[in-house]
Amino acid sequence: MVKVSATSSICLIRDGLELEPSTASPFGLKQTSAVANTCVPCSFTIQEVRALMDKPTNVRNMSVIAHVDHGKSTLTDSLLAKAGIISAGKAGDARATDTRKDEQERGITIKSTAISLYGHLDSEDDIKDIVGQKTEGNDFLINLIDSPGHVDFSSEVTAALRVTDGALVVVDTIEGVCVQTETVLRQALGERIKPVVVINKVDRALLELQVSKEDLYQTFSRTIESVNVVISTYFDKTLGDVQVYPYNGTVAFGSGLHGWAFTIRQFAMRYAKKFGVDRNKMMERLWGDNYFNPHTKKWTNKGTHEGKQLERAFNQFILDPIFKIFEAIMNFKKDETKTLLEKLSIKLAVEDREKEGKPLLKVVMRTFLPAADALLEMMILHLPSPVTAQKYRAETLYEGPPDDEACIGIRDCDPKAPLMLYVSKMVPTSDKGRFYAFGRVFAGTVRSGLKVRIQGPNYTPGKKEDLFIKAVQRTVLMMGGKVDPIDDVPAGNILGLVGIDQFLLKSGTLTTSDTAHNLKVMKFSVSPVVRRSVEVKNAQDLPKLVEGLKRLSKSDPCVLVLISESGEHVVAGAGELHLEICLKDLEEDHAGVPLRISDPVVQYRETVTAKSSMTALSKSPNKHNRLYMIAEPLDEEVSKEIEAGRISPRDDFKARARILADDFGWDVTDARKIWCFGPDTNGANLLVDQTKAVQYLNEIKDSVVSGFQWASREGPVAEEPMRSCRFNIMDVTLHADAIHRGGGQLIPTARRVLYAAALMAEPGLLEPVFLCEIQVPESAMGGVYGVLSRRRGHVFSEEQRPGTPLFTIKSYLPVLESFGFNADLRSNTSGQAFPQSVFDHYQILPGGSPLDGTSKVGQIVQEMRKRKGIKVEVPGVENYYDKL
Amino acid sequence: MTAQTQAPVLSTPESNLFETPAPSTIPAKENRLSDAELRDVYETSRTAREIRDGGWTKVALQFPDGMLVDAPRVFAVLEELLSEQIPKVNSVGVGEGEGVVGLGVNEKEKEKEKEKGARENRVRLYILADTSYGSCCVDEVAAEHVDAEAVVHYGRACLSPTSRLPVVYVFTRRALDIAFVVEGFEESFSGKGEGEGGGKEEKVVVMADLTFQEHVPVLVERLRERGWKGVRGTDVVHDPTASIPNRRIAWRRDGNGEEEEEEGDLKEWSIWHIGSPPAALLLTLSSRIKELLIYPGTTPQSTSTNGNANRNSSTRQEIIRSNTSLQLRRRYALLTRLTTTPIIGILINTLSVANYLSSIDALKALIARKGKKSYTFVVGKVNAAKMANFAEVGGWVVVGCWESSLVESKEFYAPVLTPFELGLALESDGERVWSGEWRGDFGGLDTGTGTGTGIGEKTNGHEGIEEAGLDGEGKDGELGDVGDVEDEDGDSEEESAPPEFDLRTGRYVSNSRPMRTTNPTKNTTSSSTPPPSASTSTSAASQILTRRPKQELASINGAVSPGAEFLRSQRTWTGLGSDFEEIREGGSGGGGGTIEEGRSGVARGYTVGKNGERT
Repeated sequence: MVKVSATSSICLIRDGLELEPSTASPFGLKQTSAVANTCVPCSFTIQEVRALMDKPTNVRNMSVIAHVDHGKSTLTDSLLAKAGIISAGKAGDARATDTRKDEQERGITIKSTAISLYGHLDSEDDIKDIVGQKTEGNDFLINLIDSPGHVDFSSEVTAALRVTDGALVVVDTIEGVCVQTETVLRQALGERIKPVVVINKVDRALLELQVSKEDLYQTFSRTIESVNVVISTYFDKTLGDVQVYPYNGTVAFGSGLHGWAFTIRQFAMRYAKKFGVDRNKMMERLWGDNYFNPHTKKWTNKGTHEGKQLERAFNQFILDPIFKIFEAIMNFKKDETKTLLEKLSIKLAVEDREKEGKPLLKVVMRTFLPAADALLEMMILHLPSPVTAQKYRAETLYEGPPDDEACIGIRDCDPKAPLMLYVSKMVPTSDKGRFYAFGRVFAGTVRSGLKVRIQGPNYTPGKKEDLFIKAVQRTVLMMGGKVDPIDDVPAGNILGLVGIDQFLLKSGTLTTSDTAHNLKVMKFSVSPVVRRSVEVKNAQDLPKLVEGLKRLSKSDPCVLVLISESGEHVVAGAGELHLEICLKDLEEDHAGVPLRISDPVVQYRETVTAKSSMTALSKSPNKHNRLYMIAEPLDEEVSKEIEAGRISPRDDFKARARILADDFGWDVTDARKIWCFGPDTNGANLLVDQTKAVQYLNEIKDSVVSGFQWASREGPVAEEPMRSCRFNIMDVTLHADAIHRGGGQLIPTARRVLYAAALMAEPGLLEPVFLCEIQVPESAMGGVYGVLSRRRGHVFSEEQRPGTPLFTIKSYLPVLESFGFNADLRSNTSGQAFPQSVFDHYQILPGGSPLDGTSKVGQIVQEMRKRKGIKVEVPGVENYYDKL
Repeated sequence: MTAQTQAPVLSTPESNLFETPAPSTIPAKENRLSDAELRDVYETSRTAREIRDGGWTKVALQFPDGMLVDAPRVFAVLEELLSEQIPKVNSVGVGEGEGVVGLGVNEKEKEKEKEKGARENRVRLYILADTSYGSCCVDEVAAEHVDAEAVVHYGRACLSPTSRLPVVYVFTRRALDIAFVVEGFEESFSGKGEGEGGGKEEKVVVMADLTFQEHVPVLVERLRERGWKGVRGTDVVHDPTASIPNRRIAWRRDGNGEEEEEEGDLKEWSIWHIGSPPAALLLTLSSRIKELLIYPGTTPQSTSTNGNANRNSSTRQEIIRSNTSLQLRRRYALLTRLTTTPIIGILINTLSVANYLSSIDALKALIARKGKKSYTFVVGKVNAAKMANFAEVGGWVVVGCWESSLVESKEFYAPVLTPFELGLALESDGERVWSGEWRGDFGGLDTGTGTGTGIGEKTNGHEGIEEAGLDGEGKDGELGDVGDVEDEDGDSEEESAPPEFDLRTGRYVSNSRPMRTTNPTKNTTSSSTPPPSASTSTSAASQILTRRPKQELASINGAVSPGAEFLRSQRTWTGLGSDFEEIREGGSGGGGGTIEEGRSGVARGYTVGKNGERT
């Protein structure tokens, strides 16, 4: 009945992995690809890939994103198998994009891996279906990035999304949309990246759960609906409606493990001829409440005919053949299988004919509905090319004005414009300590030897800070774990650069324009809130540790490496797993020396919980200058906006004042007189000038700002950074002679008055809190609640996943209490609960005042001070407050 | 003369004085010492004898602040003693007299001087009221103001070798209840190997703060009598670089006078310290010995709560088991903050310690060799306000005596290091080893040779460092292998040096490094391609007026001066008038006043307006 038509014959090209060095010449490919329904693994030279790069309309940059364990790498495998990079038999098990040993061992992806593939659409019909964007010819270059799903590695996803325009969202049929699915989708939409969805692991639904066709349809439909709910929540006007609909062909269904997948479009193509209807009409009929009434031979949208239930078109025309194949093969009905195969005109290779059971099922399904075909067709048809995408992404990508040459270059994806290249992460090379800068050309063309301006994240146009000039040594194409040299790369493509890794820590902008602003710095959904300190076992190894830490810092987009005030080398990561991987890398690879690693700790923040009880006053050492200040808490929303970079010191102060006044109820005059952010000039503490008519005030601004940076970096309670404090300068009296109000007099005084103000404003400690989402069957929920309540967890939502016995429990869990949480949860629920924790917010540490040594918080503070080697008692306000 | 009740307005009130790093251990006495006590504590007879022996006619008496109350009386007693014609040598004999340093004068001369002094000049004494730096150091400069020939230094001292004047040290002995101390000692060590007699084999060196030093032999004797065979005493030596600074372990056995030569590994020994040691001593010793126990030495009632007060103290006497690892780690944190700062201030905190000048030169050379800029500062007593005046200085190194180089305070805006620490901070990340070894003297700079090293040795030491530095450069070169090729390009914009990894924040920072002279050819070619700054005046084109580009910064070797760079990037205040703009934008102004034509001309007679009206 059904015949696989030659919808698309896709040839995937490898070039980095030399598996078959003597494969056909590039010209051989054109011939083979002309043969319908065959797809011979074929080799393409780098020259041809390079040639395709010049046609940005035919490039697709996309990332594969999903919740952990929903099968990203496995699905990617089927694409690689098609390309001949791995054998078809291994596809689904090899997880070839997991290039690291520990990725293979643990079965999770840790680093995102890029690979370039070559795609080819045969039929002109297909080309016509590419709506809304131009195309040249039938050949496509697909730059694909497989990303990790575990929430701890979200930063890798962010880095991947930045350089791509489309996303393949993988969702597990059974688990549905999970917390990380939502997170990555949100991130993708925030970057204006268009999603397509593949519902994976359909085989499990059929084999393990034995669901009925209608149930399966309902599951699909529910999953798609939940995806669309997320998408519409983060609706972006410029990007337009990007909800996914099976009848548009933006949803695929399949099994990565078995290597098969289909879109409704593929089936519609087949049936269109048979029914003599237009293909697009057919697609609409194959989803939703559309029924084919066999009695009237008519299409209808009523589910009943003369009282009898009709079978849904989707079930009848799409699921039915699949169910039949499954049933026949898994029940070893050989004859039935044979007829089915003939009917579907599936021809098996000789050696496959002998198989039975699951292996046979795999082969049959893979031949019937090759996953790569469906996925690539979906990507090529529905994901935007760089030309399309950069039109609407330019303004969100670029920090500068929308009408300068750099932005126009990006918008037009112009290879002749000044170079605009964003480096989103560093990929270690085989040369220890050196990295490829991995990124995307948004405008212009980068070539080996080109002298570029390297603009770090703190670069501001016109200033020299964070700006370097350097020639690109080499440009390479990233192919999984390997690279291939390439002479130059034009706009719209993804590449690796050699020779600039020393200038950028993790990410940055490369340009040839003197006036170009930065491409927007990436914001991660995770923060490095879990810390462990490391020290060498043998003092002589310290240099190696320091070098190793530098490398570690480079190799991961999120990890933070620093020396604390107490002299410890601290590695901070997003979660326990993330840290574990980082430290393992550090010990075994980057540093290569034995290390002593402390238990995980969290970094607290100091804050104030009330307005200063009175105006704090400090006098300068010479007693001739006085500063008056008041501390008060900053709204949590404002702090969050600052941390998210939406309110930043680099904003125009008038625009910022408007936002603060309109959205957060600030007084406009105050909002305009924000002197600075701190610590590190961008933290969530503000210094606001509320003085009236003070002479020489501008002259001391720098000194006071210095003192503020200093004080906010090391708070008065435990030398921890401050957060969410607003300091108002109420009044200032200054000596008339400039020499008596210099930095020496005012910097220490500013620090003292800030401390005094903070200590009089009921200081508190903030602890980081995870948002912890736990998926658990009802039977094990008691255990989850038990563990959570023991660990100060606070459940705020509990939902049953429709159609499953699974519940999703959302809770806030202090990061401090999360150490060992996973293991604890596992043992208390017999391994049935799956938690995902991601940093969410800071909360006041309950249990009294940090100034009171007898309270719980006070003891934590004293413990902390002791560990830091400073006086155990918190110095009182009298140390900082001067009487008039 | 009426005493002033208040300090004059512009003087610095004493409450602002920075606590000196080596605080006086003499607490303010409530009741004054009796005359006998005074003579005893201040060892007046010995002092007088030595002054006479030295034949000095002008002697400065230097008291720490806490002892200034006694100064007039000591002065009076000394005057009295010195005016006695015949030196009563035998009547002195108190305790173990402290020797005189710098007795360079030959015997004959001395004899002459003595006669002269006895006959003609009465010895003139001066009290030095305020010391320029720490009270532990001999203030030679102040003494030279009165042309003193010698200094009598009272109180605890750092015993750093002085360069100009001979010094008589008076440690101002303090009483100690030996029985209490023995008790405390036994309690702190009794835990180990109790029961068997071997328990008293514990290897312990007893040392004491200088003010308690005279009790050490007595105490050691007492302890040995009680069966502590492993106990050794210490002698005072003038050598801050010794393995125990200023002390030598007295290896002699019971009464035999038989000397035990082997110094042994100090790591096996614990130290029992009487009196609270200065922080520098703690840090110095921590890596060298097994354990340091501190017996505060104060009377039992006054329980001083020290920062590192420890729960381990089991006796009422509060034996403190010193744990310096935290302090050392904090020092490490401090010194790593300096690894990327382009400007380092050299702070002079002594004018007397021998070789301080050559050390400053060595530091300057070292800093310059590492491509950083150094400035030298003399500010008198160090305090936060003085140092914060130089916000562009990213870190300080203190050249002082071994005790006062360590300035530990949270108040400083930029980290303050000892020369030894600076040496570490300036090492490249690939070489820095932090083993816990620490030293306070600036001798540490010269790879372990003492303060007495000559300049020749110093340069040797630095060559070693430089080689290491070049190695690092070489590595960079081979990694970024286009570097050389690109230099020949002669492109308009040179390639930048890569940024450095700031260990404290975990970010990259780039700083102007004008002093970096890694490329010697650059210097020679600089004349052919002069930097765009004003240096063109020497060239042939000097007669042509060149327009100075706006915002041009001073540059050295073609790189922007870090000081200028700081002012440009970190300062928003650019002088009067620079804030006009802001005020207007603030919305308060609404456009300034209208401009009126003023007067013009010379003072003889101004004109107003165009009419030429003279006024």
